[in-house]
Amino acid sequence: MDCFDEGGDSLSHLFEHNGASGRGYSQPEPISPVDNLQIPSSLVRSKLPRWPRISEPEMVRHYTWLSNRNFGIDTGFYPLGSCTMKHNPRVNEVIAQLPGIADLHPLQPEHQIQGTLAIFHEMQEMLGICAGMDAVTLQPVAGAQGEFTAIRCIQEYFRSRGELNRTKVIVPDSAHGTNPASASMAGFEIVEIPSQADGRLDLDALRAVVGDDTAAMMITNPSTLGVFEPEIAEAAAIVHEAGGQMYYDGANFNAILGRTSPGIMGFDAVHYNLHKTFSQPHGGGGPGSGPIGVKSHLADFLPGPIVERREVASGDTLTAVNDEWWYHWQEPEHSIGKVQQWHGNSGAVIRSWAFYRRYGKDLKTMSEHAVLNANYLRHMIMKEAEEKGVSHVFCDGAPVDVVKHEFTLSLAPLKEQKGLGAMDVAKGLLDKGYMAPTVYFPLIVPECMMIEPTETESKEVLDEFAKKFVEVLQEDADVLHNAPVTTKVRRVDEVYAARNLTLSYPFDE
Amino acid sequence: MVDQLPNLGREKEMLAAMGMSTMDDLFADIPESVRMNEELPLRGPQSEEEILADARRILGANVALGDRVNFLGAGLNRNYVPASVFQLVTRGEFLTSYTPYQPEVSQGMLQAMWEFQTLISELVGLEVANLSVYDVSTAAAEAITCSVRVNNRKASQKSTVYVSELTPPARISVIHNYTQGGGITIKTLRHNSDGTLDLDSLSEAAGSCGIYVEQPNPLGILDGGLTSVKGIIGDNTAFIVGVSPVSLGLVEAPGNYGADIVVGEGQALGSPITYGGPLYGIFACTKAYLRQMPGRIVGRSIDVDGNEAFCLTLSTREQHIRRHRATSNICTNETLIALMGAMHMSLLGPEGLEKLAQRNMAACQLAKQKLSEISSLNMPHSINTHYNEFVLELPGSASECISYLDTQGLIGGFDLSNWYPDNENWLLVSFSDQTTSKDIDLLVAHLSVWTASMKGVTA
Repeated sequence: MDCFDEGGDSLSHLFEHNGASGRGYSQPEPISPVDNLQIPSSLVRSKLPRWPRISEPEMVRHYTWLSNRNFGIDTGFYPLGSCTMKHNPRVNEVIAQLPGIADLHPLQPEHQIQGTLAIFHEMQEMLGICAGMDAVTLQPVAGAQGEFTAIRCIQEYFRSRGELNRTKVIVPDSAHGTNPASASMAGFEIVEIPSQADGRLDLDALRAVVGDDTAAMMITNPSTLGVFEPEIAEAAAIVHEAGGQMYYDGANFNAILGRTSPGIMGFDAVHYNLHKTFSQPHGGGGPGSGPIGVKSHLADFLPGPIVERREVASGDTLTAVNDEWWYHWQEPEHSIGKVQQWHGNSGAVIRSWAFYRRYGKDLKTMSEHAVLNANYLRHMIMKEAEEKGVSHVFCDGAPVDVVKHEFTLSLAPLKEQKGLGAMDVAKGLLDKGYMAPTVYFPLIVPECMMIEPTETESKEVLDEFAKKFVEVLQEDADVLHNAPVTTKVRRVDEVYAARNLTLSYPFDE
Repeated sequence: MVDQLPNLGREKEMLAAMGMSTMDDLFADIPESVRMNEELPLRGPQSEEEILADARRILGANVALGDRVNFLGAGLNRNYVPASVFQLVTRGEFLTSYTPYQPEVSQGMLQAMWEFQTLISELVGLEVANLSVYDVSTAAAEAITCSVRVNNRKASQKSTVYVSELTPPARISVIHNYTQGGGITIKTLRHNSDGTLDLDSLSEAAGSCGIYVEQPNPLGILDGGLTSVKGIIGDNTAFIVGVSPVSLGLVEAPGNYGADIVVGEGQALGSPITYGGPLYGIFACTKAYLRQMPGRIVGRSIDVDGNEAFCLTLSTREQHIRRHRATSNICTNETLIALMGAMHMSLLGPEGLEKLAQRNMAACQLAKQKLSEISSLNMPHSINTHYNEFVLELPGSASECISYLDTQGLIGGFDLSNWYPDNENWLLVSFSDQTTSKDIDLLVAHLSVWTASMKGVTA
């Protein structure tokens, strides 16, 4: 493999490509003379950027070489807990490149974008139904931004009621880091409550902190341990009784579609991760899309505009989608304003629409299979570990009969017995050809490994992973300390990176 | 659906292995009181063919910019993106990967983003760049909160940042949402009647935490006065500049005239407009702001064998470590769109960027010259040099003019009364590398007819 790797690109650095006349693509000539562009003299660029000079074949080879040094769902099993790395159907990519979405400007008038508005409307409705919410905005462009947006809506809701004393947001210690970060950005004080020993929400701890200064509680269910909080309705009642709002972190929504909903559980607001539940490809770190849904009392505060529809009227310029309805933008009455300049990540919304259409009401089956796969994999790992006599090197992150879409294991015993941590096991799994599960999260499970297979993995993949996982647990300490050895680079020194900051190509080196 | 679930039809077998018999057993932990007992009231599943056919029909009802002669820009420009960018970015190893938490199997994206950081640093003339935030509006907002974190201790105007009065309201709204929680006061920087920054107004900003202006500004003006800004506001006030990145092929990098933070809408480099998202926000700064900047950063490192390797670095600024004390809540960003940007920038090279900027500017200049021949059109800021766009003051309302042009098959521009309510006759017209001189002739011809008809009305 090494020779293929090296042969891919003789110049491994983009900036080493510096052919004198190299241009990656030829351009037409300017449409008028450029000898007198009248740029203010103080603004004439003194020195062009030191960008590479690279031809198209070299550029294609460079990025293909880089892609071969990257692992995606397409490459192999990607059980990254909390990230819902499911297969991304390819027709969604074809659709997102149609000129009717890719070549649209957000300032075009409504009669030119009826198709987009129709899809947005369908998505708002669908997301509202799945989560049991009354109104939806598609504007937030990532999960964290969705959290922030919902918390801002809750903040303005309380301001409109004169409840200025509600300055605190409660988060469990198992929460995603974005929860406290988002609430803090909106200006709230964070109150963290401890979980019970088994990872479940501690209602007594909640009761002890709620009060007339509580604005909201932010929580995900199933929890970051992959466990359904059985007392979620009681928690909602406690918070509501104190006058606070319940916020649902939708990162784990893939577990519950059609089986329950945040609305039924008593939540007032929710964000959706279209790049998790609805298969917008994660693209190595984005783009995502983080719509939010709210109950009616918060609807007027949503960022605007949102799509509404009315019956077609005479004078409408009808198109193929206007057989019955005319779609239009509507600004919520007390809108918090914008969180992204335009209408959110429309390209992601379109892909997720195509994903939704593939399932329709069978989104329930999708969630069932996500849960089936998680439980099956958990069972097979336990079984295999028992058979191979290594069940003493790890334990359940949460001792429950069934998990939801993901589960956690604690490798604390392994740490104690052999000095091997979750990270060492993760690196060992890389050598087996897998992406490693999420490690060291949630923080409440020592040496945590969080495994989420998703619904798009076959039984065979899960069986094989269980075997390989246990093989890794059986490895000698030396082997795992030394892992990975089969990857393009070996274990990367993150401390070195931070101490010797080199954040761009060192041209002068 | 049947094509997406490998274990469809094998449920019983898998359940049996676990000692269960039905799917309901897997959900027994959900208390009855919070179960959904009815089917989701949604449509049935569709096949791929049906979905694609529906998508073509529904999205076909839209008017794509390419179907018309188009002069709508206002910060988003329909530049040409080379085909190889689209071909490469859909490679599954990039497209279907997550944030590179395991660097050993993510070197491709990590190196590509490190290269992206370099491309942006070089473009804007600053030492460090992150691997993108959501768009220019959130980049501007994050730059403002960053400037307060860095400068507030020394500031005489505590928690105060000055923002150009020309900044589009939607961007101001984003800034408001991002800054109100930190108790940051946003004050206004005035502009002269010719559209340039009022440097007297600027002196009021000395002692504040930062100022935010754009180059070219939202009226399309290249403002030479910005090169004296840093001298007026001083070292302890951040000079934040929002840029149109392609313009920097001709226009001086803000880092070379004192900018501390440069933000920008990256879209024109690498990405279609896609109805305003996904885009990517450029965020670059000097080293003084590095430890307070938002977002992911890739650093160069070594592996245990001493070979070059890349990884995410300075993570202690971020939410997954610092939680409520993080510099930002951003987690997922716009990496894949930034990757498209990196590919486009690589293909352009320095001279290609210069030429692309020339093409954009030449189109703007030609349009300005030809439109100036219509006597009833006024150009309130014509004394300045424009990039991509400029304002036409019409003899009637911009919205009526746009409606007329629409009937003639032109997307005529942007009605600036949406941004500046006092100026209902201001039309913002935009020109890019995709504008032909025939397009401009068509605009001139139709505007001549429309303005003549207006004369008839007013006479």
